[in-house]
Amino acid sequence: MTAIALAAGVLPAGAGTRVFAAEEFHAPGLGLFKWEPLFNIGPIGVTKPMVLAVILSGLLIAIFWAAFRRPQIVPQGIQNVAELGYLFIRDDIARNIIGKKGDKYVPLLFSLFFFIWFFNLSSVIPFAQFPVTSRFGYPAVLAAIVYVTWVGVGIRTHGLGGFFRAQIPTGLPKAIYPLIIPIEYASNLIVRPFTHSVRLFANMFAGHLLIALFAITTWHFIVQNPTVLGFGVGIIGAVMTVVMTAFELLIQALQAFIFTLLAASYIGGALEESH
Amino acid sequence: MSQDGQDHHDPQNVAWSIVSYLLSGILVWGGVGWLLDWWLGSGAVFTVIGILGGCGLGIYLGYMRFTRS
Repeated sequence: MTAIALAAGVLPAGAGTRVFAAEEFHAPGLGLFKWEPLFNIGPIGVTKPMVLAVILSGLLIAIFWAAFRRPQIVPQGIQNVAELGYLFIRDDIARNIIGKKGDKYVPLLFSLFFFIWFFNLSSVIPFAQFPVTSRFGYPAVLAAIVYVTWVGVGIRTHGLGGFFRAQIPTGLPKAIYPLIIPIEYASNLIVRPFTHSVRLFANMFAGHLLIALFAITTWHFIVQNPTVLGFGVGIIGAVMTVVMTAFELLIQALQAFIFTLLAASYIGGALEESH
Repeated sequence: MSQDGQDHHDPQNVAWSIVSYLLSGILVWGGVGWLLDWWLGSGAVFTVIGILGGCGLGIYLGYMRFTRS
């Protein structure tokens, strides 16, 4: 895209009619994710992602409060939808991955899924238009909650020594263990919480960047700097903005699901009997 | 604690576990190699050996865990 703009900018403009773009196209970059504080509360500068996080959390609480405030035996309206969400987390994630013992962790998994999904969704909500989870702090804290839960459940189930013993894979040649065990521990204790959070963060970060790129392309070539040649590029940008937004809707739900699924898988691993 | 039986449900999880093993192998044994180099003043010899060896062990661990059992 930049190449097209550069080429267009370098070429001389036709007399009278503007055939070629005069201004250069600027692709969006990291600046999209840097927010100046909107206002300060004490020493804390409150930024747009923080405000979005609070509003979305409030919205979630309001939705489920409305759904389960006066639960009916035969659910109607919003209770119906909320129960579907609950059953999805309980049956498809908790019971499917952990088993019957997983019912105890449904509240955690349920909260994780809907918080992440809503924090992702803010990417396509008009005026919000920013995925809260594309700021690394949010996925990092959520992954930290899962990590602490995993360690806690593991130590409670197996004891401190058992927790570490149970992570060692079985059935490998004895000589290889001194080489393998450090990798297993590094993988479970250090790398895994990192990949758990980065996967969500990176997906939302890249998705937002892509949508912004196509939207800015449209803006640049149709509104800001309309030219005969650039118009087609602008149309492609507009179409791709719509396509990518639809794709993002899918990715947002999928990433929330995967994050929750992995959380369940880690907790399930900690609950399992050791070898 | 072993994820055997759990991980098999979900290919995504298996894929990420293997990535995690690879990264860990490289970090742990590459790190050990780096420390050895630092201690012995041997340039980057052990760092390279550690990274390659760790990578191989990570692959081995992922392979053993997810193809057998």
